[in-house]
Amino acid sequence: MKMVAVTSCPSGVAHTYLSAESLAVAAKKNGIEIKVETQGSIGIENELTAEEIVAADIVILTNAVAIKNEERFKGKPIVRVSVGDCIKKGDAIMRNIKKKLEK
Amino acid sequence: MKELLGILKDTRRHLMSGVSYMIPFVVGGGILLALSVVFYGQGAVPDATTHQFLYELFNIGAKGFSLMIPIMAGYIGFSIADRPAIAPAAIGAAVGDAMGAGFLGGLVAGFLGGIVVYYLKKIKLPKSLKSLLTIIIIPVVGTFIVAGSMQWVLGGPIAAATLFLTDFLASLSSGSIVILAIVMGCMIAFDMGGPVNKVAYAFAIMSVSNGNYNIAGISAICVAIPSLAVGIATFMAPKKFKEEELEAGKAGFLMGLIGITEGAIPFAAADPLKVIPANMIGSAVGGSIAALLGVTTTVAWGGIIVLPASTNIIGFLIALAVGSIVAAVIMVSLKKEVAFEEEEDFDDDIELEIEFI
Repeated sequence: MKMVAVTSCPSGVAHTYLSAESLAVAAKKNGIEIKVETQGSIGIENELTAEEIVAADIVILTNAVAIKNEERFKGKPIVRVSVGDCIKKGDAIMRNIKKKLEK
Repeated sequence: MKELLGILKDTRRHLMSGVSYMIPFVVGGGILLALSVVFYGQGAVPDATTHQFLYELFNIGAKGFSLMIPIMAGYIGFSIADRPAIAPAAIGAAVGDAMGAGFLGGLVAGFLGGIVVYYLKKIKLPKSLKSLLTIIIIPVVGTFIVAGSMQWVLGGPIAAATLFLTDFLASLSSGSIVILAIVMGCMIAFDMGGPVNKVAYAFAIMSVSNGNYNIAGISAICVAIPSLAVGIATFMAPKKFKEEELEAGKAGFLMGLIGITEGAIPFAAADPLKVIPANMIGSAVGGSIAALLGVTTTVAWGGIIVLPASTNIIGFLIALAVGSIVAAVIMVSLKKEVAFEEEEDFDDDIELEIEFI
């Protein structure tokens, strides 16, 4: 299973990167291939390519602030989660998505 | 109608987007402006003839400051209706700002701009004319509607409301400002840079833009305390923290000094029930002390870096130190030593919904 994610937060210095790391760790643990783009105060890093988005089975977006270039994900299944849940419940998010997609 | 409710449901997200783009303007403009006043040494705008450089530096800072409200409004609009909403919302906010509508006017222009452009984008045009919509129609019609409403309808009443609010804030007696400080301290420490924190911070920015510097003084203390407190707690009781937390504690301390509340997050995430209340109490204590000692700050930011822009520097340091130590002591006394610490179970289930755009 392939997943892409974009994380962002109001100040763009901490939550953005904490949640990106937490998602990456949780995905790895659940055997999911993931790439996480961060939209912090420094700008976009680790930007997702069009091919990666096409290949992804699911898109995770954080819901704290507006995600830049959201139109890239048109037609893809999107899950919006809070930054806090990414950090604290990464594992639960992954298991829940797996369950939903297998249905 | 349903779409409008959808936009309003995400009010918080739109507001946060606006605030996040505004912060560099506040910090950049505010600190340069403050430095020019500090070096001038007379607590006033530097004189243009005797201190030309400082006067020009002041103007650079002031320019950054004057952009902050249009930028916030522009990016509230961006959050609602993407790029085309930036211009109408920002221009509307600048128009309102010139009339004295200030921060409140920026909020209104931002949301109005976003909503107006959202609906303008829905206009159906033949394919050949489609590019006209984004190049001409939305910027011109959108700006006319948003900035026009600010100029002829909303600007006046909002300016009056802003004036009322300013007078109210200025009139807060020492008793009620302590209550305000306690509330602000609790909000700022509660989610460390999250939405609740940002609401309190937005209030501090609004106060500064209206010329009330005591609220920003309180906020400058409160935002620094959680990060400083986790640092102090790891120095006080290294046995009660895990290896990586000790590292995070040092980083947290530094983040606290430069006014970043997020330094406390790794600790709060690992042990929310002990860390967050401790930080809330510490921030409330520090904020109250700052209020009582009359600490004011002319830059809406926090930590030691705004010290040059503050009055009553001793009071600033006392409030900061006492608040941080109170939070650290509570945290340390609540925490057990690592060996006895139970692994917290974060695997509680979570509700997720899959959507398509």
